[in-house]
Amino acid sequence: MSRAAPSPEDRHAQHPGTDTGGAAAGSAEAVVDPVRPAGRVLAALSGLREPVVWVLLLIAFFTAVSGKPVDGVLMLIVATGLVWDAGRRALRHPEAGSEPVARRSRLAGGRRRLVAVTALLAGGAVYAGVVGSFSRYSWPATAGIIGLGTIVVLIGWHGPLRARPDGGRLPLAGTLAWIVVLVAGCLWELAALLQQPSITTDSYSHPTISTLTDPMLATSPGRSIVLLGWLALGWYLVER
Amino acid sequence: MTAHNVTIAGYLVAVAGIVLLQVLATRTRAPVPSLGDLLTRAMRSRTGRVGVLVAWAWIGLHFFAR
Repeated sequence: MSRAAPSPEDRHAQHPGTDTGGAAAGSAEAVVDPVRPAGRVLAALSGLREPVVWVLLLIAFFTAVSGKPVDGVLMLIVATGLVWDAGRRALRHPEAGSEPVARRSRLAGGRRRLVAVTALLAGGAVYAGVVGSFSRYSWPATAGIIGLGTIVVLIGWHGPLRARPDGGRLPLAGTLAWIVVLVAGCLWELAALLQQPSITTDSYSHPTISTLTDPMLATSPGRSIVLLGWLALGWYLVER
Repeated sequence: MTAHNVTIAGYLVAVAGIVLLQVLATRTRAPVPSLGDLLTRAMRSRTGRVGVLVAWAWIGLHFFAR
């Protein structure tokens, strides 16, 4: 027994939080019709239109060929997951964008939030102390980093922890200035990397950031301090 | 000036640029977004959000993991 396809109004009633606008939704459906086989294939592969996916695939390739296959496999898994997720959502709700829906904060109460923050700080200190005590590139350190990284990425996958106001359009000139500075820094690092004797051999004349941080990361306290900074950055990003 | 010093000077210039832009964004009325605003904007979509968090995870992997 066949069932009539729901109208855009029906879908809006069922998924009010994912509607991105009538005109935009209408044009999106006109381009990719998920009912037709070709439309289903296009919808399933819609994630490949995301630049982030291609950046992750490039990182996966270059880290794998530079002797870090674990990094490469993890990046490949995330890139594949993003493509699969975008395709799944495009097939189910072709009018839905990729905007994550903010979860209702379960830490709204001031006291509960204080308890949670204290627990996170204590947990972070223990984590940095324990993982920092392991030597670099050891399997215990690898497991600790992969475990926490996986948890944080999965948390982010489900959307922001709390709704943030839409800041509107960013000023173009200032945004371009940031892009220039950040890309220039990355290119400078890349130039140093390419001037090494080989991609896995350090150079004193052209040190990469990794080479410059080696002395600090050679000691257990140094590793713990860097891990604390890494944790703080991760917390800051999850809260965005 | 040796190549070593030139390389490090390049990193310091990049860091100085980041600090300068952040100061302009937060202490003046210059039309410059803060780094936090940029990250929030980049993380508005799911792919952007996952991409930024994966970049963070990659830093940990790069410096500590096998």
